[in-house]
Amino acid sequence: MNAIEVSHLRRVFKTYIGVIRRTAKEVVAVEDISFSIKDGELFGLLGPNGAGKTTTVKMLTTLLIPNSGTAIIHGFDVVKDAQEIRKRIGFIFGGERGLYWRLSGIDNLRYFASLYGVDPDVSKKRIAYLLELVGLNGRGNEKVGGYSRGMMQRLHVARTLLHDPEVLFLDEPTIGLDPVGAREFRQVILDLQSQNKTILLTTHYMFEADALCDRVAVIDRGRIVALDSPSGLKSQVRDMSVVEVELFGLPEDMLEGLRRLPFVDSLSVEDHDQRQTLMIQTARGAEAVPDVLTALGGLKIGRVVVREPTLEDAYVRLVGGHA
Amino acid sequence: MNVRTLIKYWRTVLVVTEMTLRMNFMEPFVIFTVLIQPIVIALLGLWMLQGRGAEGAIFVVVGSGLTGLWSSLLFISGNSINIERWIGTLEFLVGLPTPFEVIVFGKNLANVLQSLGAMILGYLIAALFFGYSLTIEQPLLFALSVLFTVLGFVSFGLVIAPIFVMNPGVQGWQNAMEFPVYVLCGFLFPVALLPGWTTPISYLLPPYWAAVALHGTSTGGATFGQTLLAWGMLVLFSMVDLLIASRLFTLMLYKARADATLGLE
Repeated sequence: MNAIEVSHLRRVFKTYIGVIRRTAKEVVAVEDISFSIKDGELFGLLGPNGAGKTTTVKMLTTLLIPNSGTAIIHGFDVVKDAQEIRKRIGFIFGGERGLYWRLSGIDNLRYFASLYGVDPDVSKKRIAYLLELVGLNGRGNEKVGGYSRGMMQRLHVARTLLHDPEVLFLDEPTIGLDPVGAREFRQVILDLQSQNKTILLTTHYMFEADALCDRVAVIDRGRIVALDSPSGLKSQVRDMSVVEVELFGLPEDMLEGLRRLPFVDSLSVEDHDQRQTLMIQTARGAEAVPDVLTALGGLKIGRVVVREPTLEDAYVRLVGGHA
Repeated sequence: MNVRTLIKYWRTVLVVTEMTLRMNFMEPFVIFTVLIQPIVIALLGLWMLQGRGAEGAIFVVVGSGLTGLWSSLLFISGNSINIERWIGTLEFLVGLPTPFEVIVFGKNLANVLQSLGAMILGYLIAALFFGYSLTIEQPLLFALSVLFTVLGFVSFGLVIAPIFVMNPGVQGWQNAMEFPVYVLCGFLFPVALLPGWTTPISYLLPPYWAAVALHGTSTGGATFGQTLLAWGMLVLFSMVDLLIASRLFTLMLYKARADATLGLE
């Protein structure tokens, strides 16, 4: 049975340009997306910044009204039955906002438990259990303002689980967490899935989606461009190899020149301070290396690696290298 | 919002009130608005009216407390929704099963209750620094007047908060609305001293009726009929405010979800 059914959902934002002569401009954030998520499934929504992930989550969590289309969660419509849906869902958005910094962790949870309608006798036990679950045991009496970012994220998870929701929306939950914190957080997500929660996870981190999600939808410019299991998506680039070149200063015009080379299927660049990693997807594999190095003539080059494609490479190919 | 909703969520209202009080007491702006400013007004008023005896002093104590109530309503309850937006909690609150107006009701209740603290402090200042032995002339009626005042101010706050959210231009007039209400509602001196044409304006302001009830029962200067009328008006205004607030909250939340203005991004 499907927990979530999204059909032809569309959302447009109006922005205004100019001060004296204000003109309205429409920005399409989500354009005709449809998908469904099964009960107990961990579903990933991947996409570059501004692709429409958060807008989709906000429509599903009843915080935004779609311009058209429908979204049904456990049989309830997100527009008409918002109150019913709110009893059944939990959601977190990445970042430190959304908590009361002047209150302790326990008081934040007590406050939200009351707002979720959890019985006071139940909430005491539930709060203790959740603090244990998210690894904040013993820190609950401290003011949230003194928490690290990771601790705040964990408290967000505890907050959203207070009423034991059936469906969870986690919007970039590991953003800004240190590697150890992010790894622990991923374990919490897996634990939640083992409790048969339906989870919609949005993330920028492909390895995260690969490790956690049963299925993944790639969204780009408001449209779903692919929907499959992580292994299914990877199989789309199985015939490809990735040439990774470490560089020190890559001019924009050289990048454009590389993009036009006939054997280059797609490329992307990761910046690491003064160093960049150029990733070229090509069917020629190692044979492409001499041509790539020729095209990069004159640049200081570090490590060169040819490797098998990952989910991230499939994603880069799907979103056209502008991730 | 109706009374039935409030009864259903009374436990939630109490928790919201408790948490809001705790947070407010760590907020310098709140402490200044609801405690320090009314105390300064009380000190000045008591000093200026030293020759008027205990009746003048109790008028000042109650009046300074009312200034704290109004300033708290205007600046803290009025901004209660916007503050949630600024600190990023608004989306989480709207996305909860508890009706949002119940949450704002609890927050407003906290703001009003803490403002009553200014009245108690004013009383202590009059006793300790000015040597007055102040007595509330009609204590039971005064206590009931406080109750109706709390209801009136909390309900009025529920109307103001969504108006400020939907009309930032109106919010810009907040400062200009503070002092005229002190005067028009007779907080610090009787409205009888004002030109006659201002009286109908006073009648339309719920804080005026709160001032009539509180001043009248504390000084013993009002008949029971006058106090009863003030209570009746406070209840009437509260019911009308709750009704208007219910519509305003529905409209505000729909508009915020349609225009994507719950968050700050």
